[in-house]
Amino acid sequence: MSGCPFHDAFSDHRAKGDAVPITFDGEDLTMIVGFQAVRKAARSHGEFSSDAPFRVPIPSEEDVRSVRQLPIEMDPPEHKGYRALIEPHFRRPLAPEYGERIEALLSELIDEAVERDSIEIVRDLALPLQSRALTYLFDVDESEAEEWISWGIHVFRDGEDGAAKGSVLEDYIHQKFDEAEQTPGASDFFSTLAHAEIDGTRLTREQCVGFANLAFAGGRDTVIQTVSSVFYLLTEKPDLMAKIQENPDLIPTTTEEFFRMVTPLTHIGRVNTEDRDVHGVSTPKDRRISLCWASANFDESVFKEPLEFQEDRKPNPHIAFGSGAHTCAGSHHARLIVRTLLRLLSERGISAQLLEKIDNVESHEYFERRTGFEKLVLKLEEGSV
Amino acid sequence: MAKVTFITEDGDHVIAEDADGSLMQVARDHDIEGIDGACGGVCSCATCHVKVKAEWLAKVGKATEEEQDLLDLEDDTDERSRLSCQIEITDELDGLIVEVAPL
Repeated sequence: MSGCPFHDAFSDHRAKGDAVPITFDGEDLTMIVGFQAVRKAARSHGEFSSDAPFRVPIPSEEDVRSVRQLPIEMDPPEHKGYRALIEPHFRRPLAPEYGERIEALLSELIDEAVERDSIEIVRDLALPLQSRALTYLFDVDESEAEEWISWGIHVFRDGEDGAAKGSVLEDYIHQKFDEAEQTPGASDFFSTLAHAEIDGTRLTREQCVGFANLAFAGGRDTVIQTVSSVFYLLTEKPDLMAKIQENPDLIPTTTEEFFRMVTPLTHIGRVNTEDRDVHGVSTPKDRRISLCWASANFDESVFKEPLEFQEDRKPNPHIAFGSGAHTCAGSHHARLIVRTLLRLLSERGISAQLLEKIDNVESHEYFERRTGFEKLVLKLEEGSV
Repeated sequence: MAKVTFITEDGDHVIAEDADGSLMQVARDHDIEGIDGACGGVCSCATCHVKVKAEWLAKVGKATEEEQDLLDLEDDTDERSRLSCQIEITDELDGLIVEVAPL
């Protein structure tokens, strides 16, 4: 694995073609690695289906949840109506007052961090940030975040023994929907779903839980690792904040470059609907396809000097949030957090000294990829840029 | 200030009487369905793709090279395609009509 903080774990695979056969945790997969091929496959629902409960995430999640995640584990056109139910909540970050709340939250957390001699970014800053910000997205009381923070970095598998703990999440979600059913007209995420209808029929409890399960799981370790990586970047590129101070127009381009380089979700699954040749890989019906975002975003045929962090890269057509109908619903929220964080860090002239780090590494037979940090201890200093 | 008409995928005509700034921002301000502008106008996402009515093409102008690079990745583009984040509204564009491309 490269020593670079952001690295391309799939260049050898791309050298072989747009797709490669791999084995992942004992399962044979066809991994699509070329940018154009990944993008096209993500939009080819007839060939590569998402209508597969538990089998869209890689690894699959039969052991950590009991419900189909919605709307991601379904195909268009049915998917459209289900996605529309939650879209208003996930568009809340576009409103100016939402941005003000995120800014206030980040300011508070940065204040606390610079006052300490050192701070463990992952659990003491990124985790509370993610959880408290999610209460804004869900439109629930911020105090709910206290319980969410106690779940750890990953809602399914975090914990000292690494054991599956998805039932804790499901129990909590059921409790919230029990409460929501008693509050018709309330605007929060749970109440919206509890009273939502598709074609005149109320969602079932299982469907409601499926929506909430994804909303909790999808934006958790991804946001935490992205935020942690922003702080790490302060140590790797100490001149970046000065550049942004001088030219704030760099904030959106830096944000997009960040998502490209970090690509917090390595890949996602689809199910092949019939025997076919996938870019030279003979792929039987029902075999899973990996859409490898983390490879696509370093494809040198699309991104010039892909290993270089270019804060002014434009265009930057990365697919860190996926592509097509299933593009990450939380992308507005995630982008807002990173843009606001970059702006505050630059305005306040924050610099960072690295004291300790333990990489979070996805290690498999066919690839090894750093996706963030298990632990990242920094000393932050204000006004030093 | 200019008047701009958006024709959505469903065929609705939505008129912005007070258009100013980038066409993407105008669309966002008027909640135009099909315009996300997710990346904030820096040619990363193509979620603000519009097709300019033929009679307005000359005044709106062609896509820049970097904009065209992104449009080339989209499935449903033609010579009328532009990213609305790259179109600045001027008095000359008063009356502009664009069709919103599917996301």
